[in-house]
Amino acid sequence: MNIIIAGAGEVGYHLAKQLSNENHDIILLDIDAPSLERVDSVMDVMTINGSSTSLKVLKKAKVEKTDLVIAVTSSESTNISTVILAKKLGAKKTVARVQNAEYISDENKTIFENLGIDYLIYPEELAAQELVRLIKRAAATDILDFQDGKLSLLGLKLEANLPIIRKSIQQIAQESDHVTFRIAAIHRGMRTLIPKGNDLLLPNDQIFVITTPEGIEEILKVLGKDQTKLDNIMFLGGGKIGRIAAKMLEREFNVKLVDANKDKSFELADYLEKTLIIHGDGRDLDLLAQEGIVDMDGFIAVTNDAETNIITCLMAKHLGVTKTIALVDNVDYLPFTQTIGLDSLINKKLIAANNISKFVRKGNVVSIATLQGIDAEVLEYVAQPNSRITKKQVKDLKFPQNAIIGGYIRDGEGRITVGDTQFKENDKVVVFSLPGIINDVEKYFE
Amino acid sequence: MIKKNVILNFVGFTLIIEGIFMLLGIPFSWYYNDNDIWVLLFTGVGTSIFGLVLYLTTRSKDKDLGKREGYIIVSISWIVMSLFGAIPFYIHGSIPSYTDAFFETMSGFTTTGASILNDIEALPHGLLFWRSITQWIGGMGMIVLSLAILPILGIGGMQLFVAEVPGPTKDKLHPRVRETAMRLWGIYALFTLAETLLLVIGGMTLFDAICHSFTTMATGGFSTKQASVSYFQSPFIHYVIIFFMFVAGTNFALLYHMLHGKFNNIKKNEEFKFYTTVVVFWSLVVAGTLYMSNYGGLETSFRDSLFQVVSIVTTTGFVTADYEVWGTFLVFIFFLLLFSGSSAGSTGGGIKIVRHLLLLKNSVLELRRLIHPRAVIPVRYNGHSVSQDIISNVLAFFLFYMFIFIVGSIIMSLLGLDFLSAIGSVATSLGNVGPAIGSVGPTDNFSHIHDLGKWVLSLLMLMGRLELFTILVIFSPAFWKS
Repeated sequence: MNIIIAGAGEVGYHLAKQLSNENHDIILLDIDAPSLERVDSVMDVMTINGSSTSLKVLKKAKVEKTDLVIAVTSSESTNISTVILAKKLGAKKTVARVQNAEYISDENKTIFENLGIDYLIYPEELAAQELVRLIKRAAATDILDFQDGKLSLLGLKLEANLPIIRKSIQQIAQESDHVTFRIAAIHRGMRTLIPKGNDLLLPNDQIFVITTPEGIEEILKVLGKDQTKLDNIMFLGGGKIGRIAAKMLEREFNVKLVDANKDKSFELADYLEKTLIIHGDGRDLDLLAQEGIVDMDGFIAVTNDAETNIITCLMAKHLGVTKTIALVDNVDYLPFTQTIGLDSLINKKLIAANNISKFVRKGNVVSIATLQGIDAEVLEYVAQPNSRITKKQVKDLKFPQNAIIGGYIRDGEGRITVGDTQFKENDKVVVFSLPGIINDVEKYFE
Repeated sequence: MIKKNVILNFVGFTLIIEGIFMLLGIPFSWYYNDNDIWVLLFTGVGTSIFGLVLYLTTRSKDKDLGKREGYIIVSISWIVMSLFGAIPFYIHGSIPSYTDAFFETMSGFTTTGASILNDIEALPHGLLFWRSITQWIGGMGMIVLSLAILPILGIGGMQLFVAEVPGPTKDKLHPRVRETAMRLWGIYALFTLAETLLLVIGGMTLFDAICHSFTTMATGGFSTKQASVSYFQSPFIHYVIIFFMFVAGTNFALLYHMLHGKFNNIKKNEEFKFYTTVVVFWSLVVAGTLYMSNYGGLETSFRDSLFQVVSIVTTTGFVTADYEVWGTFLVFIFFLLLFSGSSAGSTGGGIKIVRHLLLLKNSVLELRRLIHPRAVIPVRYNGHSVSQDIISNVLAFFLFYMFIFIVGSIIMSLLGLDFLSAIGSVATSLGNVGPAIGSVGPTDNFSHIHDLGKWVLSLLMLMGRLELFTILVIFSPAFWKS
């Protein structure tokens, strides 16, 4: 696939890297030559130094032969102009990053469709939504929803004192009468593995569970983690993500938000009706103590500085806060986070990339997601008529070893796969797969 | 450097209009065979000519107004208009003292409604009409009217608008001041017409209906009858007047939106909700107290309470019953209500509901701020945070208001008024209400007050109408330093 990415910032860089690794032909545009030099040295893409709104630059990038144009510069108007021009010049599909909730609302959708923009992405809003999900299901370290939550993928950390430690997958399955969840992967140390029936769960494992809505309660009960309910939540940092998430949470929770910028604090106090805005430096422990950090159930650090976010979350964890979430935009840090004791993190780049990369997949992929810090992908396929997956029962499919079919959605209802499940066409099938075998998996759905 | 020509030019223009308004009473004088036709004709034409000369001789190319010119124009226009407006009463002889005539006119223009007349019905119809129309002009403001009519005014029309329209924040209805002013006067005239029709239907003569509509919509309170509205013994008339007093005490920007079918603005407007709550709550308290003290039937208690409460809260000052005989508790309530005021952007005076609301919220939030010293806790009004500038403006207004009230009361008691009358006369003048307590209650008048006292009260009325700052700022040293 020929893809043009405009903007070599955080999101563009990550997307280019990911898509290039998946053997797509990427042309990366940016006005800043040093950023492009950095890209050239680490990945196999073509870079063009110039403005993505310049027709000359777009033509030079062969926009007329491009399958997908992704505009993710830091400027919203540049992104919108870029994709409008690209579409007029013959690009097949276009995606633009925006920073304005108005643009992505359903009522305004047709305006952008008429302009030739296929998809708008607002990474900060997506990140905020993920934050909200993590707060509402506090026991989970990761959450991915499929088809509005008909099926969910939960990441769960196993402490040494849980009842299911040292039980095998098979044992756990036998203990419950009907199957509402399935352990799809275990992340142990720095490795991710797809479990077999006789694999044991060990302390400090992080497990990934595919579950129906009813299964969420079930798995939490099995794990001895009954739904941890949070009441008091403190945000650190009132940037876009912080303010959107606080707005979503403030009616249901008791929210405090600490921001170091005085003018921004006033702005926030205007935007957030019920949130208590504190002006101060979040690294100041006295301030946090004064505002009762020990009474907090949730601590969300979303400043622009990943290190600050990690350190303050560790501090909060140390002070006994039940759930801490850090915004970490540095992808290199992701693998360590579980080992150093952070509960959850969110990464704007991954979220944006997860959303965009579905355009790159073949037509039968509904969604695709990369999980934070582990080497695996979760894909949602539509079973095509007469595809291999519909021919036999699951146990006879000879599905690749390093992938697992967690569940499927049929007629709007989420179900968990068992050995004698027989897929039909139009089932939406959720597959958990280790990297490198995605092509093998895809063959089953064509 | 203050541009004297621009100021005089504008004052001249307001005088032209004032003269024309004086002439409007002549048809009624002629119809009722009164002896004031020549007086009105002479003063009306005289005022207009004087204004025209002033206007023509001070024309200059430089029409841009600064903040300073704005404040001076508004203050001087109001004073000059009252000085001229008093002349017909004085020349005709129905008010033999010029001090009294000036007090009466200032009370008219500022929509206070306090009167020195012992026998209102003795006035000829032309003068009565002029007396009512002074309130109508003053209600929406001569300056706002001039802005609507005056074809070309340089930059700075907004300065005048800000200086005259009440309330801590001003809503513009249109990007251009002139269009905004026209819309405000349009709504004002429309409601006045509607009330006139209803009052005629209720059985008033056309003359009384027009005069009462003028003074209702202006929240003025001048009546053509010595007994005020209680002269009309019709509950229908009372309810019509209650309704229009309430409307006149509402923000006209809200009325404008309502007329355009945007009812959401009203639902969301906290001031309107609080205003309604204040009126309903106190009416019920007063009605309950009255009903239990065997005042009369349920309906009478309710109607008289509602009428007096709305009349005082909106700073109109019409009377259908004498609350001074309702007992100490209710007299005290009515005294406190003199400090309420109506909504910002209405024709009413006083401190204004929105200021009370902001002060109340700010004070309560101060308690939260003490617990969270580093928290940013702004006052929220209509869903948005209010800037600290506005809060400190409101605080300053409130303190000035109270300070002026105290100083005024001291002066009035020096001039021989008893305690209740002193504080009552000052509170009612500053709040542009009309009736007060003590010897200046609903059934009394201000004729017995010392001449100097009348000038002091006139000044207080003007300060109240122009919301203190417009007048006070002229007396500040900063104003005269370049």
